[in-house]
Amino acid sequence: MMRYFPPRWITALFRWFADPDTLEETEGDLLEMYAYWVGAVGLRKARWKYIFTVVRLLRPFAKHKRSKEYPQPFLFSHAMIRNYFKIAFRNLRQNKAYAIINVSGLMLGITCAMLIFMLVKYHLGFDRFHSKSDHIYRIVTEMHRDDIAYVGSVPSPLGKVFRNDYTFAEKVARIASFNEQLISVKTGNEVRKFKEEEGVAFAETEYFDIFNFPLSEGDYETALAEPNSVIVTERIAKKYFGSTHVINKTFRFDNRIDVTIKGVLRDLPETTDQKAEIFVSYPTLKQYNDWLASDDSWGGIQSSMQCYVRLRPGIAVSEVEKVFPAYVKRYRPESKNVHHYKLQPLSDIHFNARYGGTMEKRNLWILSVIGTFLIITACVNFINLATAQTLKLSKEVGVRKVLGSGRGQLFWQFIAQTSLITGIATLASVLITMLVLPYFNQLFETRIRLDFLSDWQLFVFLAGLMVLVTLFAGSYPGLIIARFQPIMALKGKLSQQNIGGFNTRRALIITQFAISQILIIGMIVIAKQMHYSQQSDLGFVKDAVVMLPIASEPGAAKTVKNQLQQIAGVENVSLCFDAPASDNNWGTTPYYDNRSEEEAFRITMRPADQDYVKTFGLKVLAGRNIFPSDTTREFLVNETFARKLNLASSTEVLGKQLRVNGNMTGLIVGVIKDFHDTSFHEDINPICISSASDRYASYAVKINLGNMPATMAAIEKVWSKTHPDEIYEYEFLNDQIASFYDTEALMLTLIQIFSSIAVFIGCLGLYGLVSFMAVQKTKEIGIRKVLGSSINQILWIFGKEFVLLIVFAFCIAAPVAWWLMRGWLKDFKFRIELGAWIFALSIFITLGIAALTVLFKSFRAATMDPVKSLRNE
Amino acid sequence: MKRTFLGEFEEVVLLTVAILGEEAYGVTVTQELEQKTGRSVGFSTVHTTLQRMEEKGLLSSKMGGATAERGGRRKRFFTVTAFGRKALQEVKQVREELWNALPPQTLQLMGG
Repeated sequence: MMRYFPPRWITALFRWFADPDTLEETEGDLLEMYAYWVGAVGLRKARWKYIFTVVRLLRPFAKHKRSKEYPQPFLFSHAMIRNYFKIAFRNLRQNKAYAIINVSGLMLGITCAMLIFMLVKYHLGFDRFHSKSDHIYRIVTEMHRDDIAYVGSVPSPLGKVFRNDYTFAEKVARIASFNEQLISVKTGNEVRKFKEEEGVAFAETEYFDIFNFPLSEGDYETALAEPNSVIVTERIAKKYFGSTHVINKTFRFDNRIDVTIKGVLRDLPETTDQKAEIFVSYPTLKQYNDWLASDDSWGGIQSSMQCYVRLRPGIAVSEVEKVFPAYVKRYRPESKNVHHYKLQPLSDIHFNARYGGTMEKRNLWILSVIGTFLIITACVNFINLATAQTLKLSKEVGVRKVLGSGRGQLFWQFIAQTSLITGIATLASVLITMLVLPYFNQLFETRIRLDFLSDWQLFVFLAGLMVLVTLFAGSYPGLIIARFQPIMALKGKLSQQNIGGFNTRRALIITQFAISQILIIGMIVIAKQMHYSQQSDLGFVKDAVVMLPIASEPGAAKTVKNQLQQIAGVENVSLCFDAPASDNNWGTTPYYDNRSEEEAFRITMRPADQDYVKTFGLKVLAGRNIFPSDTTREFLVNETFARKLNLASSTEVLGKQLRVNGNMTGLIVGVIKDFHDTSFHEDINPICISSASDRYASYAVKINLGNMPATMAAIEKVWSKTHPDEIYEYEFLNDQIASFYDTEALMLTLIQIFSSIAVFIGCLGLYGLVSFMAVQKTKEIGIRKVLGSSINQILWIFGKEFVLLIVFAFCIAAPVAWWLMRGWLKDFKFRIELGAWIFALSIFITLGIAALTVLFKSFRAATMDPVKSLRNE
Repeated sequence: MKRTFLGEFEEVVLLTVAILGEEAYGVTVTQELEQKTGRSVGFSTVHTTLQRMEEKGLLSSKMGGATAERGGRRKRFFTVTAFGRKALQEVKQVREELWNALPPQTLQLMGG
């Protein structure tokens, strides 16, 4: 009867726009009418009639009016949700091992993500609270020689002339800060001494206009106007005087300058790079460092002198930077060291390592990526285990489907179950975070607090993370469950094939192990490089050398040296500026022989007496050591120095005249073998050693490790006796050198923690997968055993699967890790090779750990009595 | 308004549904109307009228069983409700009263 079909497009149109309540019968009626019309008026007319009728029947805005014949309960109704959670809770209680594995995996991931989030947020919040902080800049210097050096400071007169000459800035403030200051507070007859790590800053009044640090007592406009006046924070006031009402109290610093407190600052917030807590008025600087305070100290830059400006609104940075070259031309016309002054935004100061920023943005990125990785691994883990578990749920799902549950409901039911697990994991991680936060703060030298009430961002992050993890981890297993055929599910005939996705789970395991192996390779490389930097021969003796500060007149230092040498356990003592390797660098440009111009390279000065070579075991290659002297008469230079002079042979320098630092002149008497004078991040610099007793700052004491405690006690006694006004401090050279690599050491600790967590989570996943496989293969194993398989052969069934997965993961991880670590090593001028053994070790470690995990579970499956497994039908 | 106003077309459709009894649905009503009245009747008009009268309570409807023809789509069968029957009665009564009130000579003029 239905030989003729109306045009399809018009039927489709009808389906779209007809009244949904009467769609079905009308469509049927129309079909019948069409056939009738074809018979009555012919095909052509029938089509037109059909189209015309359809158009007249369109009801584009009609909605359902009639209720469905079977009302559907609302998916998110109160009762249903309660039911979802009840069932979820029962399921978890039934599979405790599964629940524990899942919760702990997610908990670790979420904890790490939370800590990393707090850390990143903490660092991004630095110096954000100053008013108009977008307009605040620091003037910094690029020093162009044959290479470019970057310093965060400027010649001290620059701030003053810039303020007087131009109107770009609303406020200009100079601040000169000096770390490690000795403070003496006199109360009655008693003098108490404090060593201030962050030291003392000489600040101009405008500093407090630019930076938003409110005073609790006094007025900053007047407090810093006079010489010898000072503003301290409440913390310092309490420390020195036990009270915050300390106006007009006095103390002394550096054992020579007396200051009177004229103002008290509220304690500085944690998140600022302005660390000084004692602000001395700028006119006082004259007494402390005359050269720095003078108006024509354009010759050099001291890192202590910083200059901050707040530009007027609408002034462009480029506009300001254009006027700086004029100063260089006027005040430094001769120098080969060409200064380029730049404006560095306040928001960049914390992150730009070039100018001494403490936390590079790159590191924050790395951490964030690692955090994301860990969350992904945890989710993957969950997906893996949950999918393996779905078979256990098949009866429940079957019954639900028969009773009329839709796919949507089953899916959301599973999501509810997942959210229960995520919820428990999140709560647990908040608790763990509270516990580990103190250690975390110690590790990162931060003061992060966990406070949900004031920190809404953290709250939102955590809630968002929870939802995201729930959806990401729950969707795939949820979809699989919703797809079950009810008949198969009820009959218990669902098997691996039906839930499918074994390959999906393989891919997930591979992802996990690829991530773990990248982290492991990273860990090995960093550890190896750290070991290399600290254990390889630096070209001088660094073990058993104690560095003590010289804190008295140069004359007295010699006496102390002699007394130190008398001590039984002391082998050698040298008076010097600093150890051979040090980041306390004094650079200058040399004039060599009778060449008329200064050389184009920068050298590092290491003033020291004649015992320096002996104490540090330096090798004199040509010529001789310097003779004892108080003034500069003779120089030792290193091989790099000689090479940079472009001479035919390094011995040519012997007997030639050298002038450094403007006024130090003498003959070169010896060439010493190159040694590492800074960290392995940098090349070996040209070095110049000469006697200059007014420059000595340290005693380098080489001791015999035999009777160390007694020796150390004797050294302290000698030192304290001659420096009664000072606090005794010492440092082993080894530790000093280790501190060059603080960032790397931190990175190593972190990556160790993170890679163990990643491996641990990975193993949880593996364990889950093996358990699942063991159940699946019960019959197969039984049959194999009956037919005479040995335990080893059966273990290999499991083994080969995972060996394959790990090798696969390795193939992904190795190139990625190679690329990443090559980039990391580029920061080092002296670095290890990325040898094949590193990669071999990483896969070996992974295989070992995985083997332990797999063996544990598969051994039970392999040793099971085949009678039991085969009878179980 | 005391009585439901029944339009001419509505009246005819309602009567047809009553005539068809168990078999009254969109298609049969349309075809029956065409045959009985001899004029071309639009399906859409009939459909709309049926819907409207159901809303007014003159008709009630029920879905039939699945059919093998018309792609398995079910039919919506209409039956006249008690209220519908009453409305028809009233219309008929009004007509009869009017006819009865007609003077006999006028009736003759019309050839009746």
